[in-house]
Amino acid sequence: MLLPVNNPLNAEELVFKGLKQGLTLFIPEKESFGHWLDVLDQRLDQAKSFFQGGAILVELGERRLTPGEVAGLKKILTKYRIRIKDFNPLSKKKLTPPPQERLPHAAGALLVKGTVRSGQRLENEGDIIVKGDLNPGGEIVATGDIIVLGALRGVAHAGAGGNTQAEIIAFTLAPVQLRIAHIFSRPPEGRRGRQGPEVAYIKGEKIVVERL
Amino acid sequence: MAGRVIVVTSGKGGVGKTTTVANLGTGLALCHKKVVMIDADIGLRNLDVVMGLENRIVYDLVDVAEKTCRSVAKALIKDKRLGNLFLLPAAQTRNKDAVTPQQMVAIVDELKEEFDYVLIDCPAGIERGFDNAVAAATEAIVVTTPEVSAVRDADRIIGLLQEKELYEPVLILNRLRPDMVKKGDMMDVDDINDILAIKLLGIVPDDEEIIISTNKGEPAVLNNHSKAGEAFRNIVRRLEGEEVPFMSLGGEPGLFGRFLKLMSGK
Repeated sequence: MLLPVNNPLNAEELVFKGLKQGLTLFIPEKESFGHWLDVLDQRLDQAKSFFQGGAILVELGERRLTPGEVAGLKKILTKYRIRIKDFNPLSKKKLTPPPQERLPHAAGALLVKGTVRSGQRLENEGDIIVKGDLNPGGEIVATGDIIVLGALRGVAHAGAGGNTQAEIIAFTLAPVQLRIAHIFSRPPEGRRGRQGPEVAYIKGEKIVVERL
Repeated sequence: MAGRVIVVTSGKGGVGKTTTVANLGTGLALCHKKVVMIDADIGLRNLDVVMGLENRIVYDLVDVAEKTCRSVAKALIKDKRLGNLFLLPAAQTRNKDAVTPQQMVAIVDELKEEFDYVLIDCPAGIERGFDNAVAAATEAIVVTTPEVSAVRDADRIIGLLQEKELYEPVLILNRLRPDMVKKGDMMDVDDINDILAIKLLGIVPDDEEIIISTNKGEPAVLNNHSKAGEAFRNIVRRLEGEEVPFMSLGGEPGLFGRFLKLMSGK
């Protein structure tokens, strides 16, 4: 990882640093994520006018977030009207596959551990990979691909923003609804999720599902 | 040692939160634990009715929060059957905003020094009432029934609990009807486990006795002939750390059923 000499991920404090990608919040790897959220809330409260309305990057290093933790982070940032531009600007290369012709977007991937439950919504500019399920009532929106290493039973929107090359992949694909770029589809009535990984992509003007 | 603080919640209304709190509270008290139940459903209180204690209420949760009564102890109602079981009732004429999460934490902090168990009956919904009920809890029990809508809400609640750092809620599946499961007309335990994927604390069968006991103000755990009462007694023992096998509800698929299941690859 390309890190400065004093690795802020080992620090005892939250560090905001200007990188060439933009202002970046480093959340240290020690201590619980909940602890850092409390600290962040206090810090932002003290510096309200400084951050208001901006967009930042968030560097987590080796830490993997649960959907609940992502939601918690977003909630605090939204309170101070801060948007997350992207995750892990430094460790990016490690998370994304090498750029291929089929994946022109190759932005950062957000890797989430745990189940995305009803009422939770994950968004990312780039790909989203979930190590868990996407339950009915939950939503994942990515400008890139969506990969669910489990059962996809909620709403998934890949290629949000218009990338018609985006794909949705799941170990069990039993969605409420799939969207890729501007195309919506819902599974035929009565279709039960087949066992085994499947991929959804756009063919013509339709979303098709195939065994992987 | 401070007692355990457990919130009983569900998201959806009418799945049996209050019945669960009444039965677990009574069951734990029967095991000689010192138990207090807090009704956090301000404005729609029920726990006092289910316990048959309605006519003994003088002070309530809001009085304690606003310090209208001198101490928490003054607002506690002793159960009419068990001397080590207490209820802190909700106010009926106020609404959820009458108490803040900080006040709840302060009240529970005081109670947990005195009691082995603090059980909090959470209102339905995900707003202030939920925030209040969850604020002071260190453990959570999610109650659901085998219906798609109830399971969906339970899933939402599990997500919200995790945002509040209650990472390992456990599940009580209430009002299961083995005959309907057998016919394939009701979600079974596996279907629900598949979606919620949290530890199962107990399964409570649908039981007419519950309606009778709720109306009489006598929790079903006290009734040795009630199937639901037996299920709640088992749950109490599991809470106390005992390994208790799930009771047979006579609804498991027979040899032939299991064979069919195997063949269909499920």
